[in-house]
Amino acid sequence: MLNASFMLLLFGPMLLGALALFAPGGKSRNMLVVINAAVLAISAGILVASRHEAALPELPHWLAVVGEWGIIAAVLFIAKQTRRPAIIGLGIVQACLAIGGEFFSEPSGSVPPAFIVDTLSLLMVLIVSFVGSLITVYAIGYMERHEHHGPDSQAGHGRFFFFLIGFLGAMNGLVLANDLRWLSIFWEITTVCSYMLIGHDNTSDSRISAERAFLINLAGGTALMIGQTIFLQAGNHAALSAMVTGRAFLPVAFLLFAAITKAALFPFQSWLLGAMVAPTPVSALLHSSTMVKAGVYLVLRLTPGLIGTKLATIVAIIGAFAFMTANLIAIGQSNGKKILAYSTIANLGLIVACAAINSPLAYAAAIMLLFFHAVAKALLFICMGTIEQAIGSRDIEDQSGLAHKMPLTTLALIIGMGSMLLPPFGVLIAKWLAMEASVNLPLVMLLVVGGNACAVVVWCKWLGRVMTHSSHPQYDIERLPLSMSLPQLVFSMMTLTSALGAIPAFTRVAEPLAARVFHLVPQSEGDIRLLGMVKDFMTWPLLSLLMIIGIGVYLTTRAFDTRHFRKPFLCGENIEGSRLSYEFRGPMEVKTLAMTRGYYLRGTLGEEKLTDLVNPIALALLITMFGVIGG
Amino acid sequence: MLGCLDRSPWMVHFNCNSCNGCDIEVLACLTPLYDVERFGVLHVGNPKHADILLVTGSVNHRNAPVLRNVYDQMPEPRLVVALGACGATGGIFSTGYNVLGGIDKVIPVDVWVPGCPPRPEAIIDGVLQAVTIWKERGKNFANGAAPRWQVTRVPTVAPTASTPSEDNKQGVPAQEVTGK
Amino acid sequence: METATIIKAVAALILLPAFGAILNGVDRKLTARIQGRQGPPLLQPVYDVLKLFGKEAILVNRNQIVYAFMHLGFIAVACTMLVLGQDMLMAIFVLAFGGIALILGALSVRSPYSRIGAHREIMQMLSYEPILLMLAVGIFLLTGSFLAGDITHHGRPLLLSLPLIFIAFMPVAAIKLRKSPFDFSTSHHGHQEIVKGLTLEFAGPYLGMIEIAHWYESSLIFIVFAAFWATNWFVGLLIACVGYFGEILADNLMARLTWRWMLVHMWTVGLGLAVTNLIWLYWK
Repeated sequence: MLNASFMLLLFGPMLLGALALFAPGGKSRNMLVVINAAVLAISAGILVASRHEAALPELPHWLAVVGEWGIIAAVLFIAKQTRRPAIIGLGIVQACLAIGGEFFSEPSGSVPPAFIVDTLSLLMVLIVSFVGSLITVYAIGYMERHEHHGPDSQAGHGRFFFFLIGFLGAMNGLVLANDLRWLSIFWEITTVCSYMLIGHDNTSDSRISAERAFLINLAGGTALMIGQTIFLQAGNHAALSAMVTGRAFLPVAFLLFAAITKAALFPFQSWLLGAMVAPTPVSALLHSSTMVKAGVYLVLRLTPGLIGTKLATIVAIIGAFAFMTANLIAIGQSNGKKILAYSTIANLGLIVACAAINSPLAYAAAIMLLFFHAVAKALLFICMGTIEQAIGSRDIEDQSGLAHKMPLTTLALIIGMGSMLLPPFGVLIAKWLAMEASVNLPLVMLLVVGGNACAVVVWCKWLGRVMTHSSHPQYDIERLPLSMSLPQLVFSMMTLTSALGAIPAFTRVAEPLAARVFHLVPQSEGDIRLLGMVKDFMTWPLLSLLMIIGIGVYLTTRAFDTRHFRKPFLCGENIEGSRLSYEFRGPMEVKTLAMTRGYYLRGTLGEEKLTDLVNPIALALLITMFGVIGG
Repeated sequence: MLGCLDRSPWMVHFNCNSCNGCDIEVLACLTPLYDVERFGVLHVGNPKHADILLVTGSVNHRNAPVLRNVYDQMPEPRLVVALGACGATGGIFSTGYNVLGGIDKVIPVDVWVPGCPPRPEAIIDGVLQAVTIWKERGKNFANGAAPRWQVTRVPTVAPTASTPSEDNKQGVPAQEVTGK
Repeated sequence: METATIIKAVAALILLPAFGAILNGVDRKLTARIQGRQGPPLLQPVYDVLKLFGKEAILVNRNQIVYAFMHLGFIAVACTMLVLGQDMLMAIFVLAFGGIALILGALSVRSPYSRIGAHREIMQMLSYEPILLMLAVGIFLLTGSFLAGDITHHGRPLLLSLPLIFIAFMPVAAIKLRKSPFDFSTSHHGHQEIVKGLTLEFAGPYLGMIEIAHWYESSLIFIVFAAFWATNWFVGLLIACVGYFGEILADNLMARLTWRWMLVHMWTVGLGLAVTNLIWLYWK
C-alpha cells in the first residue's frame, strides 16, 4: 500500500501530465487534471495515515541514470535555445560533474535509503498534494479565460498542463528524496518546469523572465551538484542524512547556496519578481506555495546539523535580512502580484532565519510558518488572479469598491490578508515565536522586528483599499466556474480553521518534530515557560478577542435605520443626489471626485534604488557564509 | 447620559459670507481672556462631532446648499446659533444682489446673537442660552420625538445663468456685462 | 483559569479607563493653566463621553461599527493582558491590532480627510512599533522573561539599565497620546488637524468608544512610565507623573512636525538609541 502510494505520488502526475499533453480536447484534459488531484490527495492521505517513519522502496539504478542524463540533456537543449553563454556554461559544468560523479567508488558501510518519509517530508507532501493539486484545478478555469499570445492555444494549453502537473510529481520526489542524486534530478526537473511555465505566454517579457529564472535556478542546481561531488569525494554516501550528521560544512554550504537561489532570497530575488509575468496559477503554485518552498525545505533539513556553528548564524542573518528588506521594498509597490511576491520572499526569509537560529522553539515556528504561509499565499494568489481577470488591472489602487463587484472573492482576499496579520492565525503565532526565539541573535531580532513593522504597513494599505464600502447594500455576487470557486472556498475554509488549529498544530506536530530534531540541545528554562504559555494561549485572551469580534459583527449586520446614514464630510460641498458619495462641487461648479491614493514613499523606498543598495550587502553576506566555514 | 448634555457642548463654526469680524470675536472666546472651554465647550472642526453650529455671515446662492449640507451632517440633538447682524437679516450686505438674507432662510435657528460684531461675552452668553434649549431638545430626542423645528423655505440650488435678482426687492435692474 | 485572575481582569477592565479619564481631565486642566486659562472641570472627559453616548449614532457605512468595537476591544484586552503580567510581545501585537482596526475603519469610508489621517496613522505605527518591541526585548535581556509580571525579578529598577530606551520611549508616548509634535493623524487638542483626520467619520457613540480606547491607552502609557522603577512603586509613580507632565509640556511648547520628519528621526535617532542600549546590555 505504502509502495503503491509512493509510486503514485511521484510518477502518477508525470504520467497523467503526459496524457494531458496528448489529450484530444479541453474536456478530457480537465478530466485528467481532476483525476490527478484526486490521485495525489488519496496517495498523500495513505502516506500520512501510515504514521511511522519508514524507508520507501528503492528505485532502480538505471532509472536514476536515465533521469540524470535526461535532465542534463533537457538543460543543454534549453541552454542552446536561449543562446546565453552563462546558461550554456552552467549546463556544460553540470554535464562534467555528472560524468565525474560516475568515477567515484562506492564507499563502505551500509547504504542509506534513497527515499525516506518523516514528519517534515510528510508536511511537504501534504502541501504539494493538497494545496498544489487544488491550484491545478483552479488553473482549469483560469486558463480558459486567459488570453495569451502563443501560436496554437490547444497545444499551448496541453503543454501548460503537462508541465504544471508533472511538476507536482517532481516536487513530491524532491521532498521524499534522501539520495543526493535523486534530489538533484528532481531539483532540475522543477527548474525546467519553471522555465517552461514562466515562458508560456511567449511575449518578450515572459521570455526574458523565464531565462533569468532558468539562469539563477541553474546556478543553484550546479551548486547542488558541486556540493554533492565534494561530499562524494570525501568518501561519504551521497545522502542528505549523512550530510546532516557528518558535519561536513563545505558541501552543506553549497547546498545552502542552492536553497537560497531556489527560495529567491536576496540577492537572487529578481527571478521571482520577473516570474510574476506568468499566468497566476503558475505564480500560486510554483512561486509561492511549492517550488520556492523546496529551498526552505532543504534549509530545514540541513540546519539541525549546524547547531552551534557560525554558519548557522550567517544563514539566520541572510534569512532575516531578506525578511526585512523584502517587506521594506514592498511598501513602495502598488502592483498586487509584486506585493505578494515580495511578501513571499520575506516569509521564506523568515522561515530560513527561524530554522537557523538553532532553538527548538524557532524550528517549530519555522514549520508552522511553512505550512500556514503556503495555504495563505495560495489563497491570496488565487484571489488576485480572479480579480485581475475581472477588473483587468493588477494595481491595488484600482481595487476599491471590489466588495460590491465581487463580494465572495473579496471576502476570500480579506481572509487571506487577515491571516497574515492577525492572531490567532498561524502566521502571526509563528512570527511571535520567531521574535521570542531570536533574542539571542541581536541582529536577527532587529531585522525581524523592523520587517514585521513594514509588513503591517503593506497589508494595512491593501486591506483598507479593498474594504472600502459605500452604504448602499447592493452586492453583485460574481459568477465563477466551479474550478475557480472551489479552490477559493476550500482555501478560505482551511485558513479559517487554521485559526483554531494553530495552537494544536503547534503542540502536536511542530513541537514534537522540533524536539526530536534538537534532542541533543537542552531546552532552556525560558523556552519551557514559553511553550507553556503558548499552550495556555487558547484561554481567555483568545476567547475574549473572538467574542469582541463576534459582537461587533452581529451589531453590524443587524438592521440599521437608513436615516442615520450620512455622506462623508467634504466641507459641505457634497452633491445632492449624486450616485457617488465622494463627489463634490469644485471651483467653477465643476463636479470633482475626492480621490486619495496610498502613501508609497517611492522617493526613499523606490524599488531600483533600494535594490541597488541591498544587493551588494546580500552578496557580501553570502560570501561571508562561505568564509566562516573555516571557523 | 442626558444629565451631561449641558456640560459638554461642542461647537463647530461656519462662516457663510462674513467679513470675518464675528469670526475674530469667536476666536477671542477661545483665548485665555474669555476661555469658553471652562464651560466644557470645545471648538471642533467638523459638524459630525459637533452639537452647536455657530454661523456667521449671511446666506447667498453659493453657500446656501453648503450650509444646508453642514447642518444635515450634524447628529441629533443639535442647535444653531446665528451670530451678528448678517446672520440675523443679512446685515450690511442685505441689499446685495446675491444675498438671500439671514441664516434662517436655510436652516432653523435657535439663538440669535445681535451685534456687528457681537462682543465675546455676548457670544458666550448666547451659546450658554442655546445649551439650555439643547437640554430640552435632548430629552425630546431621547424620548423619540421628532425635532421641533421644521425648515419652511429652501432656496434653489442650481446657479442661475444671470445674476439673480428675483429675491432682491429693491428694484435695481441686473446689468449684463458684455465683453468685447 | 482561577477566579482570582477573572476578578483581576474585570477590575483592570473597569479601573484602567477610569484612571485614564482622570488622567485626561488633569491633562486638560494643566494645559489650560499653562496657557493661562481656567480650564474645564476635572471630570470633563467623562461628561464628554456620556454626552457622546446620548447623541444620534450616525455612520457613513455600517462596517464602522465592527471597527469601533474591535478597536476598543483589542486595546482593552491588550492593556488588561499587560496589567495582569502576561506576555509583553503578544500584548504589543494585540495593541497594534487595535490600532489597525481603527485605521481600517477610517479607510473604509470614501472621505479624503479620513483616508489621509489613516495613512498618517499607518506611518505613526511604523514609527513607534519597533521601539516598543525593543523595550520588550530590553526587559527580556534584564529579567530573562517576556512576561510583564517578571519585571521586578532581577531586583534593579529598569531605568538604571534602560535609560536610552526611556529617552526613545518619550516620543513614542507623544505619538500614542496624540500630542504635539506628533499629532498628525488625529490630534488630542488640535481639533482641526485635517479636520480630525482618523476619527472624522465616527460620531456619537462610536466616537465615545474611541475616546474610551484613548483612556485605556493613556493609562497604559502612565503604567509603562511607572514600570521603569517597578521596584519602588512610589518612585515609579513619581517618574510616571514627571514623564506624563513632560508630554503635556512638550505638547504646549512644540509645533506640529511632519510625518516624514517623524518617520526618519524615529527610525534613525529613536532606533539608534534603543539599539545602542541593547548592545550595551548584550555585552555586559
